[in-house]
Amino acid sequence: MAALDFDAELMLRVREGDGASFGVLLDKHRSSVVHFLFRMVQNRAVAEELAQEVFLRVYRSRATYEPTAKFTTWLFRIATHLALNALRDGRHDRSQERLDDDSGDLPARQVSDGRPNVEHALLNEARLEEIRRAIAALPEKQRAAVLMHKYEEMEYSQIAKVLNCSESAVKSLLFRAYETLRARLAHLA
Amino acid sequence: MVTPMNCPLETRETAELLLDYCRRRLSPERAAMLENHMQTCTACRGFAERQRAVWEALDGWEAAPVSADFDRRLYRRIEGETSWLERLSGRLRPLLAYRGVPVAAAACLVIAAGLLMERSATPVPTAAVAQKVNVEVQPEQVEKALDAMDLISEFNDKVRPEKPQAKL
Ligand SMILES: [Zn+2]
Repeated sequence: MAALDFDAELMLRVREGDGASFGVLLDKHRSSVVHFLFRMVQNRAVAEELAQEVFLRVYRSRATYEPTAKFTTWLFRIATHLALNALRDGRHDRSQERLDDDSGDLPARQVSDGRPNVEHALLNEARLEEIRRAIAALPEKQRAAVLMHKYEEMEYSQIAKVLNCSESAVKSLLFRAYETLRARLAHLA
Repeated sequence: MVTPMNCPLETRETAELLLDYCRRRLSPERAAMLENHMQTCTACRGFAERQRAVWEALDGWEAAPVSADFDRRLYRRIEGETSWLERLSGRLRPLLAYRGVPVAAAACLVIAAGLLMERSATPVPTAAVAQKVNVEVQPEQVEKALDAMDLISEFNDKVRPEKPQAKL
């Protein structure tokens, strides 16, 4: 019998009324959930609002939680579901608007001696803008698949469970997404 | 001596090999096979170079740190929900003690019916029901909770056939 992942064990403790275990789960996954949602909707406030909803749903469902899959699969399934809904509702679709707000990105990096280098910063900002636009232009499911594959380092099988499709469908999504990204971003090297 | 291989770009099924190579997920043996193949295949070499470039470009996109008050906001919302649930169960407790479960279940049905009626844009009966049981139940909260339950049970149904339920 497969061993429970540690997160699932924590969630079972939450089910038994251990609030501290919920805090541990939140601590462990807060950043990855917010960052995933931020890269999906490309708006910091919306991403944090959606992430709040994700953790709220995790907490609300503690009584009925069953460790039938990896905890992160379940977590990202909720996150993806909410992100896709938000994008479909048009609550935030960055691909339809000017990409000119800071949206919570880190400021362009400075050179190593600490002096701001305006030219370097502008160049870096332009690069980032290109990357954000390329990701925003991907169809939603392709976008979610790439973000989980690239930043969460998930396996095809886990992405498939999150997106509720077959592993070969995930490979196909990723193949098409990276094809588009190669065409748009490979010159950045 | 490295075993020669067919060009992975010839089929969609094997093209993932190149994605995995750029992600550094191939075993040393398979990576060596692919590198050997790339010495003579310009298509695969070009694919790998461009995929690496994309990979590195995406590495440069860092997300901002999460707001310092994220947890505080979340716990405030959790507390808010917990308190209305407690208020609700507090109101139902005397019913349970006095008449037993069927009465409490009937009370739940009354509340649920009230919420449904409110959602179907007939505010007057709902207000009357809410006043009767004297609890503040936000339809949005209930709707969200049900929504979450739907998602969870749908998820459990989806994953259950693939993997037997793990036990403690
Ligand atoms: Zn080849």
